[in-house]
Amino acid sequence: MAVTPTAALVQTLNGIQFGFILFMIASGLTVILGILDVLNLAHGELFSIGAYTAIGVFGFIIGIVGPPGGGVAGTAVFLFAVLAAVLVTAAILLPVGTLFEAVFLRQIYDRDQVYQLVLTFALLLILLDVKKFIWGDSSIRTDAVYSAINTIPTSELVGLNYPTYNVFVILVGSAVVAGLFWFFERTKTGRIIRATAIDREMATAIGVSTDRVFTLVFALGAFLAGFAGAMAVPPTSATLEMGTNPLVLSFVVIVIGGLGSLRGAFVGALLVGVIRSWMITLYPPGEIAAPFAIMALILLVKPEGLFGTWGETA
Amino acid sequence: MPERVDRDGTPAYRFLGVELTRREAAFLVLGVVFLFVIPDIAGLSDSLQLGVIHQGLLFGFAAVGLNLLLRHTKLTSFGHAAFFGTGAYATAVLARYAGVQSVGLLLLGAIAAATVMAAIIGVLSLRHTGLYFALLTLAFGQLLYAIALGQSALGGSDGLPVRPGPANQPLLFGASFSPDVYQVLTYYLTVVVILIGLFVMYRITQSPFRNALDAIGQERTRARFIGLPVRRYVWAAFVISGIYGGVAGGLYAVVRQYVRPEGTLFFLRSGDILFMAILGGFRTLVGPLIGGVVLVFLQDVGQDVTQYYEFLTGTILLILVYGFPRGIVGSLRSGGIVNTRLGELRREPSVLSTWGRTAVQSIERKVTEALTSLRIILFGVD
Repeated sequence: MAVTPTAALVQTLNGIQFGFILFMIASGLTVILGILDVLNLAHGELFSIGAYTAIGVFGFIIGIVGPPGGGVAGTAVFLFAVLAAVLVTAAILLPVGTLFEAVFLRQIYDRDQVYQLVLTFALLLILLDVKKFIWGDSSIRTDAVYSAINTIPTSELVGLNYPTYNVFVILVGSAVVAGLFWFFERTKTGRIIRATAIDREMATAIGVSTDRVFTLVFALGAFLAGFAGAMAVPPTSATLEMGTNPLVLSFVVIVIGGLGSLRGAFVGALLVGVIRSWMITLYPPGEIAAPFAIMALILLVKPEGLFGTWGETA
Repeated sequence: MPERVDRDGTPAYRFLGVELTRREAAFLVLGVVFLFVIPDIAGLSDSLQLGVIHQGLLFGFAAVGLNLLLRHTKLTSFGHAAFFGTGAYATAVLARYAGVQSVGLLLLGAIAAATVMAAIIGVLSLRHTGLYFALLTLAFGQLLYAIALGQSALGGSDGLPVRPGPANQPLLFGASFSPDVYQVLTYYLTVVVILIGLFVMYRITQSPFRNALDAIGQERTRARFIGLPVRRYVWAAFVISGIYGGVAGGLYAVVRQYVRPEGTLFFLRSGDILFMAILGGFRTLVGPLIGGVVLVFLQDVGQDVTQYYEFLTGTILLILVYGFPRGIVGSLRSGGIVNTRLGELRREPSVLSTWGRTAVQSIERKVTEALTSLRIILFGVD
């Protein structure tokens, strides 16, 4: 099949955009996994709750700001409204994560790991029906509102016809990546978290409250999941099942990148995103299977993943 | 004939290498009789359907296989629907495309396919332990789901009929039966397969192999130092547990005569199978089977009562994790917290309000704790 350079570029950009969303989900999962040693199966549900919540919050903000105006300036205002909605959504999910950790998870750290899996699985099932109860069975379409953003094609700016919103996701995603690395490398809290990940006992000995770090980390994970959900919802619609696929794909990302490595999660997410999006044009049936194929390949060649474990190198 | 032997002073019966105390033997006989009369009971009442119990037994059987890993090697497989689905799809494909009619051959095909699948997935995921193993098995299970969904030859999301038309059932004993008779006969086939499977599992758990697995589960490095081929043993256990899943899946396809990716391969199904083992009690042999029947029955009832039956399942899971971590059979046998609490309640019914108060207080405390943490996260320590 002949692929024009422009089409190839567009596909790659789509892949990168999806990769950034995937990174936001996988990073939350990775941090929780690296520090709490808990595989949070309910993470995908937090992601989709973020998506549902964002629609409501966004509608509210648009009610204040008014419908998107024309021109580049109007779009910019509109994008800021989206960003505000995303942040508000993520802030709503922060206490949810805190509650989960403090009320449910904290009781069973000393038990067999299988109980933590069963617990997060139980939370997954409960959240699934909470969503169904609040937002109903049918999916919520959002493309009508968000297509307004894309009325300013980027072609006017750089000569390539590409949806504005996707560019926006890539920019915000880059900011999140930079922010996370800055947080874990430069801030005191980030260093405390990393220290806890490397050696829990030593961290306790020098006066770190592991309880608080655990709550913080879980809240951070929920925050990132909500953020990703809110960013991901515009191009698609919010559906009840939307949590599953990203959850499993971010498992793949974590395995590819190295178990619990943040940098690995970033590389893995972009890899999965781009290859998946390339498969859509080249060989559609392979779209779902391709990430798993990469995962199996990497497991065979380098079982520990592309990068090392979390903590020493963020 | 059972021969009388003495074990720690309690009289025990020994038959085909199975050693039981009198109480256990009574439970065994009772259980087997119960399994065999279920079709008659089910005929009497509308609410108790044979199909539901049958399905519960099949999933429970897959959970029995999973339990070999869970109980001894401490490995949590979150992708056991992969083997269930492989067995089911192998059966469907053999019956539909290869024209195989005999149930025996179909089941052999299911076993072969599940063995190969478990061998491959085992090689790839058994390098890791703990959560990464759970994560990998889940991912591979979901890969198979994706393949079944994507291949038009496998029917995509619509699934695959085992043999087209209701009259074209697989042949039992080389003959065809009317649907009602077929349902009951396949049920008995399942019961026989389950009894054999439980017997084999019992023998495995009485063998030195089980001790080796226990050693590996407790401390891998030490197990390697005392000369156990750790990887090979765990792999063997993984393949055995996969075969149990494959047999269950093959029977499922034979019984239902229709295979869908959603019901056999989806990761919620894997979660169900894991949940069954915990619900029934994963430190016991028959626990997972009972957990399977109970869970499927509850889900069936729940589906009739409310559309939010996942919530129901989730809540039961929560209660299980906090209140009865040993599961149904485990709690009954140990007579631990459940019996003590029941005894208290019988002596002093007012204790219920005390429990309620304690529960509310502890939840209140947790919520306060969570809110404090949240305040500190948002505004720092003041």
